Amino acid sequence: MSLLAQSIINGLITGSIYALVAAGYSLIYSTNNFMHFAHGISVVAAGYMVYWLFTLAGTPFYATCLITILLSALFGLAMYRLIYLPLQRRGSSNVILLIASIGILIFFQNIIQIAFGSGVKLIGYIEVSRGIAFPGGITMTVLQIVILLISGIIFIMLYQFMQKTKLGRNMRAVSNNKELASIVGIDHIRISDFSFLIGSALAGVAGILVALEQNLSPLMGTNLMIKGFTGAVIGGINYVPGSIIGSFVLGMAENLGILVLPSGYKDAIAFSLLFLFLLFKPNGILGKKEGRFDK
Amino acid sequence: MIFSAYQTHIFILIFIYIILVVSLNLALGYTGLLNLGHVAFFGIGAYTSALLALEGLTYIAAMIAAGLFASVFGYLLVIATDRLRGDYLAMATLGFSFVVYSLLLNLRDVTRGAMGIPGIPKPTILDFTIRTNDQYLIFVLLVCAISVFIMYRIVNSPFGKLLEATRDNAVCLRVLGKNTLSLKYKAMMISAFFAGISGSLYAHYITFIDPTSFYISELILVLTIVIVGGLGSIKGSIVATALIIYIPEVLRMLDLPSSVLGPARQAIYAVILITILMIRPKGLFGKVDLE
Amino acid sequence: MILSCRDIHKSFGGIRAIDGCTFTVEKKRITAIIGPNGSGKTTMFNVISKLIKPDSGTIDFNGRDVTGLKDYELARLGISRTFQDVKLFQNLTIREHLQIAMSDSNEKLLSSIIKGKNRDSQNIQEVMDLVGLDKTFDTYATDLSYGQRKLLDLAIAIAKPHSLLMLDEPVAGVNPRLRSSIKEILRELNSRGESILLIEHDMNFVMDLVDHIFVMDAGRVIAEGAPQEIQNNPCVLEAYLGGSEEESECWK
Ligand SMILES: Nc1ncnc2c1ncn2[C@@H]1O[C@H](COP(=O)(O)OP(=O)(O)O)[C@@H](O)[C@H]1O
Ligand SMILES: [Mg+2]
Repeated sequence: MSLLAQSIINGLITGSIYALVAAGYSLIYSTNNFMHFAHGISVVAAGYMVYWLFTLAGTPFYATCLITILLSALFGLAMYRLIYLPLQRRGSSNVILLIASIGILIFFQNIIQIAFGSGVKLIGYIEVSRGIAFPGGITMTVLQIVILLISGIIFIMLYQFMQKTKLGRNMRAVSNNKELASIVGIDHIRISDFSFLIGSALAGVAGILVALEQNLSPLMGTNLMIKGFTGAVIGGINYVPGSIIGSFVLGMAENLGILVLPSGYKDAIAFSLLFLFLLFKPNGILGKKEGRFDK
Repeated sequence: MIFSAYQTHIFILIFIYIILVVSLNLALGYTGLLNLGHVAFFGIGAYTSALLALEGLTYIAAMIAAGLFASVFGYLLVIATDRLRGDYLAMATLGFSFVVYSLLLNLRDVTRGAMGIPGIPKPTILDFTIRTNDQYLIFVLLVCAISVFIMYRIVNSPFGKLLEATRDNAVCLRVLGKNTLSLKYKAMMISAFFAGISGSLYAHYITFIDPTSFYISELILVLTIVIVGGLGSIKGSIVATALIIYIPEVLRMLDLPSSVLGPARQAIYAVILITILMIRPKGLFGKVDLE
Repeated sequence: MILSCRDIHKSFGGIRAIDGCTFTVEKKRITAIIGPNGSGKTTMFNVISKLIKPDSGTIDFNGRDVTGLKDYELARLGISRTFQDVKLFQNLTIREHLQIAMSDSNEKLLSSIIKGKNRDSQNIQEVMDLVGLDKTFDTYATDLSYGQRKLLDLAIAIAKPHSLLMLDEPVAGVNPRLRSSIKEILRELNSRGESILLIEHDMNFVMDLVDHIFVMDAGRVIAEGAPQEIQNNPCVLEAYLGGSEEESECWK
């Protein structure tokens, strides 16, 4: 019983990291309608930024976090302005944008590897590795509790932003109907700018938490991206709350799955879910728009 | 010996990759089948051939089996993803390669997982065992020539024209009484077959394989080559393979440590890919756009 | 009787594109479907050729119930059709288009590789002469003018083995000279015993060409008959001028 409870808690923690990745990704997807696969490298770059600023250069931790989130946001904006937008202007199809974004991911992954080496890196900010025991036989580390809290706060903030601010409402308008949005005078490029800024800032937060909780490795971007993407697909890729919920479902599925399967199958569970959802329910549990094509 | 050992090595890789790239072009360029999972066929071929050869099967039989097994997956992939379009199809085929990757990693009883498979035997053909790289070069050249010739015949035959017609306008072709689904899976099976063959050549050349050889960075390389050469051009694929496998070799003159060399090569491929997409997405000799 | 559609219904979301359409096409005749824009003519063609699955209704072709067939299976039974917006293969030549249309061996891989390129030009020349398309066979479809593409599209439909030729607005957007030459082509085909079903937007074009007319409006047939009868039918004028359904006698 306690094993089950512990797995559910672990699923929540894993899910919250995936959800941070997925939220930014699907915010960008819903307003731009193409797959920004390089989002995964934004997360990893943020993690290495923390390692560089905090662990190597000794910058105070909170300053490190602020700078990292800021630079992540700008990094996302730069990708949009320097690569995607020019491609769109020359009329490239979405598939070309996707391939370019895989190219971007591979490029920065290797740049990070050249700069920092391929070995894993440790941040070592929160040392406490001993878990705190909770009733029901559950243990959680302080860091894990912090991760849950922070991601929870961020999701609430994101929701408030999308519902209450003008910019957020315009973003939802664009994601619901591009033509209509441009008819009522919403500047699509401005919305895209902000979606990349905000989405990549979320990637920055995810990167910081990942850096604190796991060992950093240059190659983790692809995996994180697939997980975030899978979460988004499960919940509904162009619907931000859906992709957050989908990510928690994925985190649960992985952690419950390895109760019965060897732990190496964690990734296989995610990949298989991704494939199955794309084939049989490409709009996810909560998504709206049609991704399939029936004649 | 005509070439230096290093040149021989590069030429062997080029011939192996020519088969892989031309086979991708047959599906992607000629038939319009978006497939971001082509390296999975390469991997399936490599593992099939390596495992069968280690079980004692003769090389040619193992190589053909590698092609056939890969083409079974090609069939399944088309049947499974036929109703998807655009981004979703792209992600499903990419997802397919992730699934294959994680199977290679996790079916440890068969594939030895992350440890990979060492000691893959060099090919023996009719009592003759290929030992030196020079001999291997001649062998891959031969297999490459035969494979490319067959694929060239296919795309230039009436069947090949049906594949191009499927790409250009599948609805119109069905109205002319052609079963486009059957055309698609046949094209994908041929494509996967030759990818499997090249995987086999690769495995028995390097003699060690592990799942990371068949993952996303490998995908970037073949996509880059196909797009640089041009969709729907076999000539383009051949020229581009030679060019792109060769270009990063200038890095060797810089005397970089090997820990930098590998990533630098990958980064160069990625830059080439993004650049060609931005300035000339049709590639050197291509005629069709990626939809 | 070569084709008969009974009580076909098809909605797209809320739009009832086809609403109980019934008609029968006779052999060796030229039959026209006319009707205002958006009356469901093209949709009916798509339903007949199986590109669209109807919500209900049945279709017989050559005395056989073909309702459950796939698009390419039906095409093999002998229906040839063109599209209103000409559909060709951008990267293929005229020769390749016509060879694909003529070949009934479908996707035979092995024999196709062994035989290699098909250089047979005899039949191609015949069809090209018939439609009067004067271009070298190695011209790419993209290098043709709109009128020439329309002719190639027609040539493909003629070249494909068939017993019924269905043409969706064969003269839409072409100049008057080409219009009359296409008209002559259709007469010539009919005199050879072809059964033709064509959609036309313009009533005048069909009056002296066809044997029988169906008038469609709002997804159903509102009138049928010989051209003269149709010309004198008040309902038809009304459909074209846009009368309202409730007041009209034609909807009973
Ligand atoms: N694929 C589709 N999706 C939605 N509506 C459609 C589709 N095809 C046709 N329609 C609608 O069905 C009606 C009939 O169209 P159509 O058959 O093209 O008319 P016609 O060929 O007589 O001009 C129109 O209102 C059109 O908008
Ligand atoms: Mg029409």
